[in-house]
Amino acid sequence: MSGPANDSSALTELVNCERVAHTYGRGVTAVVAVHDVTCRVLPGTRVAITGPSGSGKSTLLHLMAGLETVTTGALSWPGLGGHPLEHPGRVGIVFQGPSLLPALNAVENVAFPLQLANTGDHEAKELAMDALRRLGITDLAGKLPQEMSGGQAQRVAVARVIAAGPALILADEPTGQLDHHAAGLVMDVLLQAADELGAGLVVSTHDPLIAARLPETWTMRDGRMLSPTPATTGSGARS
Amino acid sequence: MITLWMRGLLRRRPGRLLAAAAGIAVAVALLASLGAFLAHSQATMTDRAVRGVGIDWQVQVQPGTDATIITDTVQNTTGVAGSATVGFGTSSGLSAVTGGSTQTTGSAVVLGIPADYRALFPTELRTLAGADTGVLLAQQTAANLHAAPGDTITIGRSGLAPVPVTVAGVIDLPQADSLFQQVGAPIGAQRTAPPDNVLLLPTDQWQQLFDPLAAARPDLVSTQIHVQLDHQLPADPAAAYTDVTAAAHNFEAATTGGAIVGNNLGAALDAARADAAYAQVLFLFLGLPGAVLAALLTATIASSGAARRRSEQALLRARGATATQLTRLAGAEAAVTGLAGAVLGLAGAALVGQIAFGTASFGSTPTAAIGWAAASAAVGLAIAAATILLPARRDLRRATVTSGRATVALLRYPAWARYGLDGILLILAGLVFIATSGNNYQLVLAPEGVPTIAVSYWALAGPALLWIGAGLLTWRVADLLLGRGRPVLRRALHPLTGGLAGPVAAGMSRQRRPLTRAIVLLTLAIAFAASTATFNATYAQQAEADAQLTNGADVTITQAPGTPVPAGQLGAIGMVLGVRAVEPVQHRFAYIGTDLQDLYGVRPGTITTATALQDTYFSGGTATGLMSTLAAQPDSILVSAETVKDYQLQVGDQINLRLVDGRTNQLTTVPFHYVGVVSEFPTAPKDSFFVANSAYVAAQTGNDTTGAFLVDTGGQNTSAVAQELRTLLGPTATVTDITTTRQTIGSSLTAVDLTGLTRVELAFALVLAAAAGGLVLGLGLAERRRTFAIATALGANRRHLRGMISSDAVVLAVLGLTAGAVAGAVLSVMLVKVLTGVFDPPPSAIAVPWGYLGIVLAITVLALAAVTAAATRTSTRPAIGVLREL
Repeated sequence: MSGPANDSSALTELVNCERVAHTYGRGVTAVVAVHDVTCRVLPGTRVAITGPSGSGKSTLLHLMAGLETVTTGALSWPGLGGHPLEHPGRVGIVFQGPSLLPALNAVENVAFPLQLANTGDHEAKELAMDALRRLGITDLAGKLPQEMSGGQAQRVAVARVIAAGPALILADEPTGQLDHHAAGLVMDVLLQAADELGAGLVVSTHDPLIAARLPETWTMRDGRMLSPTPATTGSGARS
Repeated sequence: MITLWMRGLLRRRPGRLLAAAAGIAVAVALLASLGAFLAHSQATMTDRAVRGVGIDWQVQVQPGTDATIITDTVQNTTGVAGSATVGFGTSSGLSAVTGGSTQTTGSAVVLGIPADYRALFPTELRTLAGADTGVLLAQQTAANLHAAPGDTITIGRSGLAPVPVTVAGVIDLPQADSLFQQVGAPIGAQRTAPPDNVLLLPTDQWQQLFDPLAAARPDLVSTQIHVQLDHQLPADPAAAYTDVTAAAHNFEAATTGGAIVGNNLGAALDAARADAAYAQVLFLFLGLPGAVLAALLTATIASSGAARRRSEQALLRARGATATQLTRLAGAEAAVTGLAGAVLGLAGAALVGQIAFGTASFGSTPTAAIGWAAASAAVGLAIAAATILLPARRDLRRATVTSGRATVALLRYPAWARYGLDGILLILAGLVFIATSGNNYQLVLAPEGVPTIAVSYWALAGPALLWIGAGLLTWRVADLLLGRGRPVLRRALHPLTGGLAGPVAAGMSRQRRPLTRAIVLLTLAIAFAASTATFNATYAQQAEADAQLTNGADVTITQAPGTPVPAGQLGAIGMVLGVRAVEPVQHRFAYIGTDLQDLYGVRPGTITTATALQDTYFSGGTATGLMSTLAAQPDSILVSAETVKDYQLQVGDQINLRLVDGRTNQLTTVPFHYVGVVSEFPTAPKDSFFVANSAYVAAQTGNDTTGAFLVDTGGQNTSAVAQELRTLLGPTATVTDITTTRQTIGSSLTAVDLTGLTRVELAFALVLAAAAGGLVLGLGLAERRRTFAIATALGANRRHLRGMISSDAVVLAVLGLTAGAVAGAVLSVMLVKVLTGVFDPPPSAIAVPWGYLGIVLAITVLALAAVTAAATRTSTRPAIGVLREL
């Protein structure tokens, strides 16, 4: 299965996956989480990855974020200038569970990736406050993660991503622990941020309502990409 | 459920359980090792007490009782190895005509001893000149009479004609105090000093001279039976004392009032028994901080997993587990950890005891051994309960499910800090120190002449309060620095963390309690190591000083009285291989008023080349200063404090002493000027004596006879050099060496060899310091793996992670080591000061074991560096894998 190489191929891919696979464990306990997936994400891509639990959605996102390494195949980030971990802030990831640093308050959490990228203290905190403001959660600025609800913590995690101005936003079940209202707010923010930054956005989700808010959907099952739907934004996938 | 839970813990967290069990094992091992040391030291004390007694029993035959019946009873008593009947006669005075003049003494004691007396009681008599048998004159009596072997002296007998005898030899009576005790007299009614004039006769001769006196004046003649026991005694001084005392009572009962036992062995064992009880407290006191530290370490290890435990409890409660079930789970964890720690600790202690003290037993009796082992194991279980079970129960009572899942604990100021307990403890420590460091510890002489120690156990409270107060104060200061001092912390961490200084300081500040606990633990460990090492080093230094004081120098040569020193002997001694320096010392007797005291004439400019003089030997100046005064003002003299008091002397006062003039053999008056007080001096006795310039003494008395030579060998091969000198000088000189003297000096307590305990304590202190630094830091970092994984996922590279991790290590090292050094220094000074009585002589300067302290510092820093490196390596593992695991 393959997606058409239309005019969007003139853009440089943010992520390019060529027949990538990832296996957890070895021998009889080995589990193939992602199997022979080929896909690419271009600037401006808006794509939802759907599929049942254990279908490989999160692993594919982690591979794209450079947090896992491929077992076979080739993975590159030509539009990012190299491996994301070597370029902090170019890829922003929203995790499924709590991912804030427990000892830092909201504004410090949001500023942290900026400081990793050598932004000065003062500037990093100003950018962090801007991001919180855009999400309407400045009241959380001084709170520690343990003092926030799940939805609040997830919105701070989103603020942390957008504060860094990434070229690619990866969100792993960002609304999985939220009610419909909070989930809607988070998606609003992600889409708005991606639009403003001109960034690619890849969201893995179980929720068809969330998936429906994105123009493109990839469906996965048992580690394979089942139904790529090439979009005008130029992304594509085949398996 | 409990089995399932324990299996899960063992499978998922074996490292943490093992670390907690290891902490408990260290505490148990330290306590049990102290038991092993005490067992060893008590046996040493008993042995030393027995060896120090010349005559085990002095059986005084009561007037009107037939001595032969008592002798038979003695010989039939179980445990008696040998006995000798000794006659005691009182002479009205001794006189001698020497050099054309007649010398007469006051009342004298004349002993009648059998031929085998020396063989039975070898330490009672020491020949200084002439023959070993026949008529023997005590050294001081010989000096009083100016008599030497071959001279004739006359023994006065009240109401009877005096009789002349010929002196065969001159002897010393090393145990005169106990030999001339008044058997059966109550404490306080004993003579203050042995008689000045003593003569010994063979039994037959004594009977010829004193049987007539006994018939005429029975009050002037008595009989004693001196008894040597077989010394089949228990190792524990208390048990040995009970045995010996019961045997003496049994014997007295068997004589139906015909004899009273002067129980010298019982008295020595009684002193050893008291010393053993004190030693138990002292060594426990020295070792207990280590056990407390191990308990705190265990608590810290257990509490480093507290957040996770609370989280697990919260999950279990959310799924319906009851408080009772959760308590049982915690109880099972505590029991398994405690038992494992106790077994490991006891096994470790047995091994340590075998290696260090040569015994794997924890007590000198089976009951004591079982008691020590059981008590140590119970302490281990109590530590497990206090550090695992109690916190779990407290969390169950106080924490909600939501708060249980919090990873950053709410920072409440503990009650003790609000009420200033640290300050109160430190003030109390200071007050106790002032109150107890004065004069509570003094070596005192028991009536029987056995040195013992009077102690105040209360004084031990000073260092204990200081140690606890220092720990709490360190907590307060560290909490303040890490909390309110965050801006300073951020600036300080900038070189390590660069742009991340702000978030690192913020995180450290909000999660400061575990780091604060680690700092306190490291402080206490360093303070324990420093103070224990300093105490032990000072103890060793003073034991050496004591040996040198008693012996005089590495090797000391004492000339027999009246024996002329051949010309060139000083040079000959100096030529012997191994001799680095030789110093002659005059020994004279001088009258001040009617008192006869020893006078030592020294060469003040060079005496320190052969022996060490400590400032504590003198008052009114330093050792160097007073020796300079003796050199600059040759007629100056150092006097004992007792003489200064008795004669109301002021510095600069003239003292006229009467010494024997070598030209006329008559007493001549020599003027001196009092310049300072001397309390100890090499070769000098513990009572009153003088120290003067030998050149002045020689000029004034026309006599430059040397009494002793002090020989310095640099502490090397003293026994071999002594043997060489014996060969060179022949039988007229007594040669003693410091190695032999070390074996025989001191009370039973100061005679205890602390080497084994020192090795054990210092090894434990080293382990605790390394563990307090490295292990606690490592566990704290392990709890923050999620933080490092998230940071990695956000783009933190190895340099960032190393900065974050090493920040903790650097703050821990700087604050912990600094506070530990300060607390250790203060504690060392206080410990040495309040335990001054344990040292003999008191130290003029504390011995600081820089080498050991350097090793502690290096090991601690290495442990921290190793943990930092390992944590940095671990933190760079793929973040997702770590997050998934956690």
